[in-house]
Amino acid sequence: MSDAALDYRRRIPRIVRPSVTASSPLLIRWTLRIVTVLLFGVATAVGVNLGIGAPEISPTSVVHHDGVASP
Amino acid sequence: MRRLGHTATGLLVVVYVGAVLAILQGFAGGGLPIHFGASVVAQVSGMAAGYGAAVMLILMSRAPWLERGVGAHRLSRWHASGAPLIILLTLMHASAALVAWAQARSIDLLAAADDVLSLPGLITALIGTVILVLIGVASLRVVRRRISYERWHLLHLFTYLAVGLGFAHQLAGPDLVGRTWLQIAWALLYCYAFALVLRWRVLQPAFQLWRHRLRVEDVRQESRDVMSVLMSGQHLDELRAEPGQFFRWRFLTRETWRSAHPFSLSAPPTCNGLRITIKAKGDGTRGLFDVPAGTLVFAEGPYGVLTRRRRRRPRVLLIAGGVGITPMRSLFEVIDLPGKDVTLVYRASREQDLVLKHEIDDIAERSGARVVYLVGPSSDAANDMSARALNRIVGDLSDHDVYLCASPRLASRVRDSLMDDGFPRHQLHEERFSF
Repeated sequence: MSDAALDYRRRIPRIVRPSVTASSPLLIRWTLRIVTVLLFGVATAVGVNLGIGAPEISPTSVVHHDGVASP
Repeated sequence: MRRLGHTATGLLVVVYVGAVLAILQGFAGGGLPIHFGASVVAQVSGMAAGYGAAVMLILMSRAPWLERGVGAHRLSRWHASGAPLIILLTLMHASAALVAWAQARSIDLLAAADDVLSLPGLITALIGTVILVLIGVASLRVVRRRISYERWHLLHLFTYLAVGLGFAHQLAGPDLVGRTWLQIAWALLYCYAFALVLRWRVLQPAFQLWRHRLRVEDVRQESRDVMSVLMSGQHLDELRAEPGQFFRWRFLTRETWRSAHPFSLSAPPTCNGLRITIKAKGDGTRGLFDVPAGTLVFAEGPYGVLTRRRRRRPRVLLIAGGVGITPMRSLFEVIDLPGKDVTLVYRASREQDLVLKHEIDDIAERSGARVVYLVGPSSDAANDMSARALNRIVGDLSDHDVYLCASPRLASRVRDSLMDDGFPRHQLHEERFSF
């Protein structure tokens, strides 16, 4: 191994060093698409859950708190 | 400003319609009939600020359809003009809400602040607001000049935290509560905005790092304060990068990994190599001069619309100023027209600032294209870059597509002169990196 390669190995933390063999572009393209769909699927599920679970009475509403009309 | 394309127009229409709906909801949120006063101001400004914050996240998500369809510099400009407005709306919301609370309870503002901050989600919203204000102050031109790009960029990343901290408060706001469908829509807007950011600002560059294994091959000094970084990698053709485009580069060394810099490719990309050319302008870019061979590179991109695909006219004029030569150098090599009717006008203050001159001369000699160097003080009439002077250089300017990349000052001078002279906007193509 050359000095440059040794130096490279020393400086780059193991977790950052790519170690997985590259797959075919078609497989990669589909993997990325699936990751995107999954990501937005999760975002949809989280968004709907947050919306459904959101408070029904606003803690900051001056109307609800005091029973008086808004100023 | 260049004429808006379909994507930009469509996006603006959607954003404005959304803004109108959010503002209307702000008016209607307190119930009908509307009693104008501090609470309405608080609700309308709050809805507008919350909506705007999500839109800003989407605009800066680096989603390819946005970067290609709208253009990086226009997105940055929209962001730069929209973000201060959102901060002002947030402050207006906070102040008006406090006044409304004090009026409704007949207490003074200090007691109202004490009351309000004890409510759920308000402390986090306050922290988010303070972060936003700090970022806004740091982005003021006078402050921005005093801090390094790296510090400013790092501070800017806290925007995500600030927006996230304000979200819970928004969902419980009086404009949305009790309207489950609106709360779901609002939550989805934020979740999708964050998903876009995660997909294109984190996952995509991480994937590219793994797939292309881009790393520094060599750093070559071009002049006293300019250097080229040669990078090698695998399957780089899959990036579909084109001459004239740029990436945001993050060099993974202990000193430089924190910030990403936008630099154009200074040579046409190959299957296994990319090259950028950098001028040292501050501590951050100067630090890149010491990046050792073998350093991994986290690259976001390619971005930018300054490509040969934009050409519509039979002749091309490339205008470069200083280190703005980098995208022009790579375009100059690949724009191949019948009759070789390509002219490169390269402006620099001094002879030694003509970066990559030997390569440009080689390309010109090989392709038969023309290069005009304008060197010396701008007060010199020979270095005039007005539309009239450019007309003299190339003949009929209206028959050209003009590609422009220069310092903000020079680019603005050339652009204004071309527009004043009636040059068609859609024939002017430029990328700006001043943001």
